[in-house]
Amino acid sequence: MAAPLLPPPPDPQFVLRGTQSAVNALHFCGGTQAQGCPLLFSGSQSGLVHIWSLQTRRAVATLDGHGGQSVTWLQTLPQGPQLLSQGRDLQLCLWDLAEGRNTIVDSVHLKSVGFCRSSILVEEQLRWMLAVPGKDNDEVQILEMPSKTSVCTLKPEADAKPGMPMCLGLWQADTSLRPLLLVGYEDGSVALWDISERKVCSRIACHGEPVMGLDFDSQKARGISGSAGKELAVWSLDGQQALQVRHIHELTNPGIADIMIRPDRKILATAGWDHRIRIFHWRTMKPLAVLAFHSASVHCVAFAADGLLAAGSKDQRISIWSLYPHT
Amino acid sequence: MAVFDTPEEAFGVLRPVCVQLTKTQTVENVEHLQTQLQAVSDSALQELQQYVLFPLRFTLKTPGPKRESLIQSVVECLTFVLSSTCVKEQELLQELFSELSACLYSPNSQKPAAVSEELKLAVIRGLSTLMHSAYGDIILTFYEPSILPRLGFAVSLLLGLAEQEKSKQIKIAALKCLQVLLFQCDCQDHPRSLDEIEQQQLGDLFASFLPGISTALTRVITGDFKQGHGIVVSSLKIFYKTVCFIMADEQLRRISKVQAKPAVEHKVAELMVHRGADWVKNTGDKLAILIKKITECISVHPHWKVRLELVELVEALLLKCSQSLIESAGSLLKALVGLVNDESPEVQSQCNKVLRHFADQKVVVGNRALADILSESLHSLATSLPRLMNSQDDQGKFSTLSLFLGYLKLLGPKVNFVLNSVAHLQRLAKALIQVLELDVADVKIVEERRWNAEDLDASPNASSARPWNQVQRRYFRFFTDERVFLLLRQVCQLLGYYGNLYLLVDHFMELYHESVVYRKQAAMILNELVTGAAGLEVEDLHEKHTETSPEELREIVTSILEEYINQENWYLVTCIEAEEGEELKKQPCLQAITSSVHTQVLSSPAFSKPSPTICSMNSNIWQICIQLEGIGQFAYALGEDFRLLLMSALYPVLEKAGDQTLLISQVATRTMVDICNACGYDSLQHLINENSDYLVNGISLNLRHLALHPHTPKVLEVMLRNSDASLLPLVADVVQDVLTTLDQFYDKRAASFVSVLHALLTALAQWFSDTGDAEQLQERSLEEEGSHSCQTPTPLENSTTAEHVEQFVLNYLKEKDVAEGNVSDFDNEEEELSDPPKVDENDTLPDAEPPLPVQIQIARDVMERCIHLSSDKSLKIRLKVLDVLDLCVVVLQTHKNQLLPLAHRAWPSLVHRLTNDDPLAVLRAFKVLQTLGGKCGDFLRNRFCKDVLPKLAGSLVTQAPISARAGPVYSHTLAFKLQLAVLQGLGPLCQRLDLGEGDLNKVADACLIYLSTKQPVKLQEAARSVFLHLMKVDPDSTWFLLNDLYCPLPLTPPHASLHPVLLRGASVQQSPYATNVLRLLRELQ
Repeated sequence: MAAPLLPPPPDPQFVLRGTQSAVNALHFCGGTQAQGCPLLFSGSQSGLVHIWSLQTRRAVATLDGHGGQSVTWLQTLPQGPQLLSQGRDLQLCLWDLAEGRNTIVDSVHLKSVGFCRSSILVEEQLRWMLAVPGKDNDEVQILEMPSKTSVCTLKPEADAKPGMPMCLGLWQADTSLRPLLLVGYEDGSVALWDISERKVCSRIACHGEPVMGLDFDSQKARGISGSAGKELAVWSLDGQQALQVRHIHELTNPGIADIMIRPDRKILATAGWDHRIRIFHWRTMKPLAVLAFHSASVHCVAFAADGLLAAGSKDQRISIWSLYPHT
Repeated sequence: MAVFDTPEEAFGVLRPVCVQLTKTQTVENVEHLQTQLQAVSDSALQELQQYVLFPLRFTLKTPGPKRESLIQSVVECLTFVLSSTCVKEQELLQELFSELSACLYSPNSQKPAAVSEELKLAVIRGLSTLMHSAYGDIILTFYEPSILPRLGFAVSLLLGLAEQEKSKQIKIAALKCLQVLLFQCDCQDHPRSLDEIEQQQLGDLFASFLPGISTALTRVITGDFKQGHGIVVSSLKIFYKTVCFIMADEQLRRISKVQAKPAVEHKVAELMVHRGADWVKNTGDKLAILIKKITECISVHPHWKVRLELVELVEALLLKCSQSLIESAGSLLKALVGLVNDESPEVQSQCNKVLRHFADQKVVVGNRALADILSESLHSLATSLPRLMNSQDDQGKFSTLSLFLGYLKLLGPKVNFVLNSVAHLQRLAKALIQVLELDVADVKIVEERRWNAEDLDASPNASSARPWNQVQRRYFRFFTDERVFLLLRQVCQLLGYYGNLYLLVDHFMELYHESVVYRKQAAMILNELVTGAAGLEVEDLHEKHTETSPEELREIVTSILEEYINQENWYLVTCIEAEEGEELKKQPCLQAITSSVHTQVLSSPAFSKPSPTICSMNSNIWQICIQLEGIGQFAYALGEDFRLLLMSALYPVLEKAGDQTLLISQVATRTMVDICNACGYDSLQHLINENSDYLVNGISLNLRHLALHPHTPKVLEVMLRNSDASLLPLVADVVQDVLTTLDQFYDKRAASFVSVLHALLTALAQWFSDTGDAEQLQERSLEEEGSHSCQTPTPLENSTTAEHVEQFVLNYLKEKDVAEGNVSDFDNEEEELSDPPKVDENDTLPDAEPPLPVQIQIARDVMERCIHLSSDKSLKIRLKVLDVLDLCVVVLQTHKNQLLPLAHRAWPSLVHRLTNDDPLAVLRAFKVLQTLGGKCGDFLRNRFCKDVLPKLAGSLVTQAPISARAGPVYSHTLAFKLQLAVLQGLGPLCQRLDLGEGDLNKVADACLIYLSTKQPVKLQEAARSVFLHLMKVDPDSTWFLLNDLYCPLPLTPPHASLHPVLLRGASVQQSPYATNVLRLLRELQ
């Protein structure tokens, strides 16, 4: 008789259909900006970027700039409605979306065909730093944007052999202006690079499988990474810029495609190859919910500024969830 | 015939007559004078006026009793003179006035002298003419304080006449004369308007008469309705003109505080009135009583002209004396407002004109005091409204509500003063809720079921520009008049338009929540409030009123909508069918709500299964309908803006469109039409197609919790029925969800899913029927060609030779061997081997298989489920599944390599249905078999012959004697239908499957018995059709078989060397088969 007392499993608030292809990347663009209603960008296997209006729940525009090659990463820039999209056609495109324009204004040629997503760090109003996978297998390239000048190339020491970088996270501590980069490598290790000194500050081997996704909470100096294996690793950064594994969470099914901490730093979501989205309490890592909706592996998760969660899956659907909205 | 133009000539003529009259005063002399006067020109007469008047006045003035007739003729003559001349001297005027008035003076009493009516009339006319003939300024000097007593006498005299006389003519004349006396004449003879000072002087003078005039006129006005409308109309006119003149705010404002000492003698001065503040106040109070009397009485006057005059009265008084008559404003406004919905269009339009005028002049809005009075009236009306609604009849309710509506119109935005008071709002709400209570005793509504699934095809009607006007006819407990309902709606709309919508919606929402008893009414009111707030149909008297902004309105509508489609308000018990009942049992909260509707019926909560009463179900149906209509009205109110709400609103509406209750489904369909109109969709199909993403979203999410949303499959069904192939990608997506859910709930909800699958496959079969049909046709023609080419036997030629015969026999033997399969083992294998490539040839690329079309994938997946489900425990489901299976086959026919393996897997279960199930299932299974036979004949042939045919034939044979003996009732039995279906189906099936001879014989043997005339006619027909088909497959053996049964002609051998043949049928004389066999043989030739 206890069963009926449990609340029913949560449902998505709504589901976006119509990408006609697996969804690989998602990014929210907040509704607080001048362009009006909140938008969601989705990048699909077929190379299209769909722009969804969250008000009408319909695609308002489709961007085709990657020649049918899968789009792996999407990011908007704070200045003006500009969108970055990374595709497997080795192009990173900068789109101008102002006033209904949907044109590519700039692009960066990439040298790595891997699945590694890029990362940006906005330093000033019109200047930002971009981290992209580099030419050699284990390199990461840092570019100064929008001038596209190469700042440096981060190559691990010869004996380290961490494999390819799988995910990147550029960040900057509140106290210092030194840009830092977190890299998850193919061998399952996570490394912290000091970009100005071009050296690895610290590196920990926390996974047995390639790291598929990581996110970092610079306020708590704590980060989390997920891999192709069964474990989620929570690690922290001490004063000496040294990484330490804090906690390993074992999952029932292996494979995390993406991981994201909500902007309010209360909860985090993982995209599972087991078709499920998992929600954890960020401070305690207590599992809160397993969202079962998709019928194929979930490729990406994204949080909006107001806490809305979106998940894109191989089943061609994007599910939108409103979770713990009052926290 | 003015003969005498000059005064001299005239004088010459008139002089003797005048002298004569002065000497002897007789009627004849007066008449003589008058005739002479007629011959004198006006200008000449003017010169001689005094002279001519003298003898007449003399006659009047001579003391002593006079004959009435004389006085009358004198007065008439006087009147004549005055009418053609003008009085230029003040003294003359005064004297004539007194002399004329004195004619009706009786010294003994206050009343007018008891004289003949003719005389009275003559005097009145004389007075009237006198006043008209007064020259310009003279008339003004006439009205000086010293005249007061004499004027007063005349006024009271005339009032008395108007009041007490029986003759209508006199009354009217008296009133007219009074009007002239009081300087209010509306004829054109009066040269100029008065300036301010003159007005004031006259006002001061007339003020003395006001009490007398007003009371006397009130008596006349409120007198018997039968006295004729003309009198009342002129009385009303004099009343308001006089009051307006004396009580005009403009004049009163200028009155000095201190009374100026008038330069008249003391006695007259006493009569003078000073119109100071106190006087105004007192008079206002007294007039209020009279005005109240008048308005109350005249509002219901049967003649429309009188009511029209009342409107004029209200307009004049409120425009000119709104301050001095503030006490009367309430009753005046009430009268005006009450006439807004008058039955006479003239009154109505005048009323509206006046209201608009008031609004333009800001009489109410700009005048705090008036607004207060109106608010007060509205409040008191709201207070008494519940009582009035309870006690009045329909007509009474109508006028009460008209009044209410009028107040609202007049108050306009100021209505918020009333609404802001909680007590007032509550009163008002209560009254509205109470009067709108529905009568829910009608059983029919619950009973009526929607049978026709294609009901939804109604297309939006272009002419229905005001869709919300066509609400479902409903029945109220407290009134039957449709007009009352219309008024109530207008009241609500006006409230929504002028009132604070947030406040109102909030309040009625609260009532909606408070009790089920209020819910329907509150919803109705909410619907109208929103319609009104949109301001689309409201006639606005207050132009500068700011409407609710579209954003605000959308916000409000969204919140109401949310409430409407909330689980507990949307999913109500409307019928007690087994399936739905079961579903609802799982929702105890809903039961609790519905059972509390009529607590007297279900007082005890201890009932484990409270069954809803008819009344509560009826009430639920109405609630749903009202909410549905509301959604339509919201769409109307928001227009294109409503599109944003479709994501939440369309799904529930569509769900109700699929409801079993006729009324709900009708209303829901109309709501969809309304939405189409509002949001600019051409048709329902357009609406559904354009918004299918929202629907699919709802369906797929709700499917996850089927127990909570048992109606989800219905929505999909409705959606599928009303859309086209463009929907396929989205449908494919949701179908996966459906099948996944079905896999989880095989046992519990198979029934509803199977109906969805049925709808889905029906839709697919319909959407993709073109290609299918073409192919089918082609196939058929090919088959037919084939059957003709290989089966058409060498015709029996007339010139038969032995070689021919021999060749024929040889051919026959060979064919027979092939047909029986003795030689064919090898051949058959070869055929089977050569078959698959043939199929592949149809595909463009045999190596790299192109992805299957979505519909084929769906049909394949569905068919797979059908195979599982076709052995379900419930017969109902089995039947439905067989139907779905049938459709699957139709859709899959173009893709044989998908269809055949599935057919193979479905076969055992199908055989089981055919041979070992309820007769109904056998019927359906047979239908499937037929379709399947049409689509994949070769595949089915052997299996059919082996597994099915023997049993079918056996059952036909065993049933035959029973049907032969049975009476006419037999045709209604299931066994009969089964026989019929089998017989009807066998023929085409045999042909399709291209059966071998042995099997054909089996079929023929089984059917032969049914050619007997003892069988029911329909079975005979069906049996004949079997043979007709058999003839096409194998005419020879059929011929033989038939002749074996009954042989109409003796057979002559084609060649002498052959033995004569004697068939068994030839020996039979009276065969019951004769008729049918003959008919068939005729076909064969």
